[in-house]
Amino acid sequence: MTQQQQTYLTPEVKAMIGKEGEKVEVTIWGIEKENLRRFIHAIMDPDPRYWDEEFARSTKYGEIVVPPIYCTYLSKTPPGAEDPISRAFRNNPVSDGLGGMERPRPGQLPSLPTPLVRVLNAGNDIEVFKYPSLGDRIFSQQKYANIIERVGRDGAHMLIVTNETRFTNQHDELLCISRSSGFRR
Amino acid sequence: MTTRTADELRNKTQMYYEDVSEGQMLPTYVLGPMTPTHVFRWSAAIENWHRIHYDQDFAIYHEGLPNILVNGSWKQSIMPGYLKDLCLPDGWMWKVSFQHRAMIVPGDTLTCWAKVTSKYVKEGMGFIELETGMKTQDDIETCPGTGTIVLPLKGGRAIPYPFVPPKS
Repeated sequence: MTQQQQTYLTPEVKAMIGKEGEKVEVTIWGIEKENLRRFIHAIMDPDPRYWDEEFARSTKYGEIVVPPIYCTYLSKTPPGAEDPISRAFRNNPVSDGLGGMERPRPGQLPSLPTPLVRVLNAGNDIEVFKYPSLGDRIFSQQKYANIIERVGRDGAHMLIVTNETRFTNQHDELLCISRSSGFRR
Repeated sequence: MTTRTADELRNKTQMYYEDVSEGQMLPTYVLGPMTPTHVFRWSAAIENWHRIHYDQDFAIYHEGLPNILVNGSWKQSIMPGYLKDLCLPDGWMWKVSFQHRAMIVPGDTLTCWAKVTSKYVKEGMGFIELETGMKTQDDIETCPGTGTIVLPLKGGRAIPYPFVPPKS
């Protein structure tokens, strides 16, 4: 069997479907105003529900809220951690700013037992149920939601891996679910 | 809809389920022209240090790209915000999905759009299925996708918050 014809959806790979990572906190200091201010400028959204306390109290939310998928962008370098930028360029003076920046990310899923290492984004979908509030602590938990196999036009087999991340607050209320699919070739 | 102001969002009138019909194009939302500074601001806000988003020499001469690139993650934040605005003040942006296609570079002006593909009522709430996207000034689709928004019916029940999806 040539590599072009080989199936990669092995029993070991199938066994990963449904595997969950550890539930971890993604906020460092909870949902805080300054980070929110920077974010809403960056997405060019002047919605007063994000910053005008008096107006926000009059809305159906009753308080300041944050943009729909804000909680998916909360993972940041914690204070006191080794500077990832200095490390990356020390190890590779022509770093692309991506490789070598890795830092420990608790809650990550175990690696897939596959020789396929090239990853291409295949799409994202998001469901939103509740907006975080100021002061909330946000938690995430990842899962291999699905893994299927497809055959490309060139006859090569590839996997389509869907990772699901559920975001909850300190009351265990579900805020949003993000699903990210990627081709593994 | 062009770039909206805080007052427009503060005073937005509700779009109801009965106000939309299959095949209807909903108000668009125009952003841009994008500049390197917009891209840098997003990268800094989310701590994305990939040089293709702020180092033009690296993007062009090392990576062979036409320019620095607008982040896919930025697009990923813009589309839910666009659908959120369509639902204000009392509807709900429930689902959004998209794929990242064409590159967006500085100089591009972007139009977020949504077309109603179907509508139905469940548990007293109006569900609107959408085909969505983000096109450049050259009509190139960069972010094709779908969305589901939930609108109140005229004289109907309030959309619950937190949102509770229908049972079936």
